[in-house]
Amino acid sequence: MAQDPLQLLCIEPRFPGRLGGVADWLVRHRGYHCRFYCASTDPAEHWPPSTGKGLEVVGYQVGGAAREPAVTWIRYLERGLCHAYGCWETLDSRRPRPVELILGRSAGLGSALFAPVYLPGVPIVNFFDYFYHAHANDLAGEAGPDMPVEYFHWRRSANAMDLLDLESGAARWTATRWQRDLYPVEYHADFLVLHDGVDMTRTAPRGRTTRRVAGRTLPPDALVVSFVARNLDRVRGFDRFLELANRLQRRYPSLVCIALGGPVVQRGLDFQFFNQDYSARALKDNPPHDPQRLWILGSVAPARVAEVLAASDLHIYPSRPYPVSRSLLEALGCGCTVLAADTEPVREIVTDRETGLLAPEHDPDAWEKQACAVLDDLAGHRPLAEAAVQMVRENYNRDVTLPRLAAYFNELAERELPA
Amino acid sequence: MHVLFLHQAFPAQFGRLGLELNKRYGWKCSFLIEDLSSCPTPTVEMLQRLEIQRLPLTEEFRKERLTPWPKAFGRHLQLCEAVFHAVRARRDLQPDLIVGHDGLGPALFLPELLSCPIVNYCEYYFAQRRRDISYRIDLPPAEPAEFYPRSINAATLVNLAAFSWGYAPTHWQRSTFPEHFQHKIEVHFDGIDTELYQPRRLPRTFAGRSIPDDHRLVTFVARGLESMRGFDLFMRVAERISRERSDVLFAVVGQDRSYYGWDRLHTGHPSFKQWVLNQMNYDPSRFIFVEHLQPDQLADLLCISDLHLYLTVPFVLSWSLFNALACGCVVLGSDVPPVREVISPGVNGLTEPLFDTDRQAEAALRVLADPAAYRPLGQAGRQLIVEKYSLEVTIPELKEYFERAAGGASGA
Repeated sequence: MAQDPLQLLCIEPRFPGRLGGVADWLVRHRGYHCRFYCASTDPAEHWPPSTGKGLEVVGYQVGGAAREPAVTWIRYLERGLCHAYGCWETLDSRRPRPVELILGRSAGLGSALFAPVYLPGVPIVNFFDYFYHAHANDLAGEAGPDMPVEYFHWRRSANAMDLLDLESGAARWTATRWQRDLYPVEYHADFLVLHDGVDMTRTAPRGRTTRRVAGRTLPPDALVVSFVARNLDRVRGFDRFLELANRLQRRYPSLVCIALGGPVVQRGLDFQFFNQDYSARALKDNPPHDPQRLWILGSVAPARVAEVLAASDLHIYPSRPYPVSRSLLEALGCGCTVLAADTEPVREIVTDRETGLLAPEHDPDAWEKQACAVLDDLAGHRPLAEAAVQMVRENYNRDVTLPRLAAYFNELAERELPA
Repeated sequence: MHVLFLHQAFPAQFGRLGLELNKRYGWKCSFLIEDLSSCPTPTVEMLQRLEIQRLPLTEEFRKERLTPWPKAFGRHLQLCEAVFHAVRARRDLQPDLIVGHDGLGPALFLPELLSCPIVNYCEYYFAQRRRDISYRIDLPPAEPAEFYPRSINAATLVNLAAFSWGYAPTHWQRSTFPEHFQHKIEVHFDGIDTELYQPRRLPRTFAGRSIPDDHRLVTFVARGLESMRGFDLFMRVAERISRERSDVLFAVVGQDRSYYGWDRLHTGHPSFKQWVLNQMNYDPSRFIFVEHLQPDQLADLLCISDLHLYLTVPFVLSWSLFNALACGCVVLGSDVPPVREVISPGVNGLTEPLFDTDRQAEAALRVLADPAAYRPLGQAGRQLIVEKYSLEVTIPELKEYFERAAGGASGA
């Protein structure tokens, strides 16, 4: 399969986002040149290594609703169109050439929607994350009677940008079958389902003799339970982790629970706590049994994540039904024993009692029981972790999945060449 | 059965339909609308027999007709909210079926309240090029032209994804929708009143003006005198006809307003009609401009037409085309796919390429030279409408379709 270098234009509202890692791999391993158009960036310590060396970051300006600090849900599409227009304006002004392929991810903001106005005929691949269902998945199933009805109105309207992107003539790409199956069935056949993969070179060596996390040495007999998320929010089940952590700490005096993730909720779908410190609220509702043994380390660099996972005896993934996070795959890939919520998106990745353990979402007793079974017999559960490593290496290793993506990109670029 | 219709305007596509379902089958038909329309206007019978409720919208909202394109979907959602709250306030409103216009009938939030099936009226899906507002590339470009078509279908798409049932009035309109959604869309035409619109011998007068027996009358009818309906092209044809025949008058019906396109952006002029009239020296004595006609007045006009011109871009067909055919007019239409679905050239009408005003003028002059020779085309056009597009045919079909939909899954 062809793996030729291409002139790539990436468009995503925030860099590096999801596509930054893909672009970085393509630049470093396939000789791509990438221009990455974005409206904002993460702090530099999160930038991939090829930034500035084949991966050029270009900021676009936004106007209208996209400049307002907050807009009502009724104006979300308007905001997305402003992003798309802002990106087009910058493209039209800077006139990047040549461009052989456009890779976009809207994250609801449709940034690549108007790219074809500047670059007609250039193939586009759009990465699609998530299609909202009015009363299912993420937090929808737990909306109580006090939830304003407008919440469900928003959920019914939230897919507008994705639908425009789906009909824009772009090729459609998503990471898992579960994510594809959320979309209207009319689109399923045309989706490329391929995970962009995790970087298995980033794993830290595992061992229980000397474990250091965040500059602190763990006692050799300490049991470590880990939780990792981009943000400590309800979607990823931080509340459920706290409940389990307290139960386990009461049982195991040497247990240390480590949570990584930013404190502020950044997912707009969590209307109730968006832009708030949910972790503080969760800790107030469920105070830690022993604050000294609950390490909440905030948002950390990838090396620190690897360090925590290497030290973990049991990794907890209590996420509500939502696209699986990269941290789950990283935990599986670095040899953690994983206990995860028994939901459809997780079951696509984790096979119960083969590559990990699953517990019913809403049953804290079952979670406790499963967790104790692992902590009481770490060695006995090593085969699950080893099988998980093998599974990730074969199916979700970036060095396995991204060559397939590169071949797909080549195929698309070839189709557009004149005869 | 009880059907709840949702639309921006009344009667629009659903008013006559609701009236017929009520009169013929005893159905209860309720309407939630933004406003009463003037094209066409509701009849007294409609207002008496149908339950019509205006949404409680602010006057500011109602008056905002020119929504900037990035805000169009937000406006749609505001209407969806208004419909939701209006239905929630009416516990007695328990329809068996809801029929909503996919772009203008805001049914999206009603599954939160009602479990009955919802039918999308799939009127049209905008294209990125070679149709509708993007077609007139002969005019100066309008800035939104590249962006609007890529974003304006948001409401339509959200409704298509949400609901299992849909119908379009014509096969061509159905074909405008994304191919993978067409399986959800049947074809059922709204229906033409062929008792009102039928050939009749009438005195040749129009707008208070007498048309001499030895004169020919050419008609042009559109909701607005705009580029998408070829008003400028019609005037070029009319000018050519005027030069070659001194015995032709032109009756032009339509408001000085562009409903569908961006004529103001194309021309920089507030009135497309005036912009067109400024292009050439037209003899005003040859033209009779009327902004609006009631249905019976329109029917009278079409009955005395010697030639009806319909020069649309590929877009939703006007009811006036069907009305003209129903009245037995000889119709010369633009040779575009939606027109060809109805007009078979040489059989029940004539077609010529939209931008070739010379050929259109030559075809028109042939008809005007010997109207009797072309009368069979008009008769065939009438026959087509009676057999395929009349209320007598379409209402039973729509009734059967609605009954199927009401018995089916809600899909939401």
